[in-house]
Amino acid sequence: MILDKFDLTGKTALVTGAGTGLGRAMALAMADAGADIYGAARRMEPLEETKRLVEAKGRRMEIGSTDVTVTEAVNAMVEDAIGKFGRVDILVNNAGITDRGRGKTFPELDDEDWRVGIDVNLSSAFYCSRAIIDHFLEHGGGNIINLTSGWGMRGGRNNFMYSIAKGGVIQLTKGLAMTYARDNIRCTCIAPGLIPKEIDINLREQRNGFQPVGRVGWPREMGPLAVFLASDASAYMSGETVLLDGGSIAGGLLPAGYAPEFEG
Amino acid sequence: MAKQIPVPVMAVPADEYDLGGVNPFDLSGRHALVTGATRPLARAVATALAEAGANVSVTTIRDDASEASEANSILDACIALGRSGVALQVDLTDAAAVAAAVASIESEVAPIDILVHAVQEANIKPVLDSSVAEWSNELARNATTLFVATQAVGRRMVERGYGRITTFTSVLHDRGIPNAALFGASQGAVLGYTKSLGLEWGRNGVTVNTITLGFFDAVPGIQSDEEIHAILERYIPLRRLGNPEDVQGAVVYLSSELAAFVDSETFVIDGAIQVHA
Repeated sequence: MILDKFDLTGKTALVTGAGTGLGRAMALAMADAGADIYGAARRMEPLEETKRLVEAKGRRMEIGSTDVTVTEAVNAMVEDAIGKFGRVDILVNNAGITDRGRGKTFPELDDEDWRVGIDVNLSSAFYCSRAIIDHFLEHGGGNIINLTSGWGMRGGRNNFMYSIAKGGVIQLTKGLAMTYARDNIRCTCIAPGLIPKEIDINLREQRNGFQPVGRVGWPREMGPLAVFLASDASAYMSGETVLLDGGSIAGGLLPAGYAPEFEG
Repeated sequence: MAKQIPVPVMAVPADEYDLGGVNPFDLSGRHALVTGATRPLARAVATALAEAGANVSVTTIRDDASEASEANSILDACIALGRSGVALQVDLTDAAAVAAAVASIESEVAPIDILVHAVQEANIKPVLDSSVAEWSNELARNATTLFVATQAVGRRMVERGYGRITTFTSVLHDRGIPNAALFGASQGAVLGYTKSLGLEWGRNGVTVNTITLGFFDAVPGIQSDEEIHAILERYIPLRRLGNPEDVQGAVVYLSSELAAFVDSETFVIDGAIQVHA
């Protein structure tokens, strides 16, 4: 039965950046699919809200404050998750996003801008994956879902650390997929397009015209895709990056797709 | 300059994060059409849609009685799951015949919400031995059938403002192997068509995506050769060829209402073989 293959009952997912945005949406959808959640983020307050929402679904959620750019903190997070649940089956490397260096031209970027931009968006996924891989090997398998961006594929003006790091995440995905394919460990990657956190309708409407499908995304639309990739329904997929971007990358050959500003 | 398509008014969900316990993969109440339902791949697609709750109708690829018997058997498998639908024998390269078939399917069953074009046929042959007729045939059965089927069904979906269309390509759409040039060309055609079509209909609520297959058992291709099959089993990172069942999850996900923000995308299901390339 195909619907059973999407089921995550009995699994535990470690989601970084689970307090807000896409991380919260993925945590909630995986909880709906039956998984228990370990959520990490720097700020505890949003995590506590996600925990409340997951628990309202009858699932267990544990949380921990973590800086995913620090190896020791990441190792402690993984240890805490394994200690509390006994086992982790799914790792979602969702934490990231910094606009460090925004507004600067290329020569103005300093070494610290570079280091922070790469650390937050790429090193974090490397550290978390490295920290959990022995646990996956010991338990006969696991599943890693990375988060990249359309900026990991295309080039942007004065967009360096973010796009370079996100391009690196795509390569990290391929490397992990290849290295552990024979150990029942799959690794896939999601590239979300423009999915604003805020529900401000005016702000959303301003941006809708820049999307080929005519609207920006909702965080909740990340959930089913994350469940699909985390579950046996995608058993023959590994190393791949899947776009959830309203057609933005496919439509990039015209200025912002069908953006009204460019009409005429 | 591109024609400007108005931005449709979008419904605001009850909750921006939470699906509220709804099973996003439940296709109950939807009607799916599987075109080219004559092979194990199409059988896996049709039964997955039926298992997920959709009513399922099917067509052949050619106007051919033996294909019709296979299509009927696939329909029977869906009906056995408690679904309804019809099976039609039609030549998918004949636009008038397909338009009539789609009209009859919709009047007999229901408007079509989901279209899966489950055709993937491969002529494995050196270019030096191939004829123009074989080239034309390869493009006709893989690409022309897709154009005709999506146009006939898509016209109605665009009018109604809702649709989920899934096509199949091969990793050969942008990689190469010897003796597969004609097949690869047809897959490139399918990919290019899919990407543009998704953008053409995206603002009408109709998404178009492709599932890209690696080397699958029971799907025609170089892997039909025993020696190559054995090599592939060792070379594919996940250490096996794909089974038609391996596409079921992606078909159900892409056919679901909540996959609305996935458009003109490629879902590669290949046991990670593309990571080699």
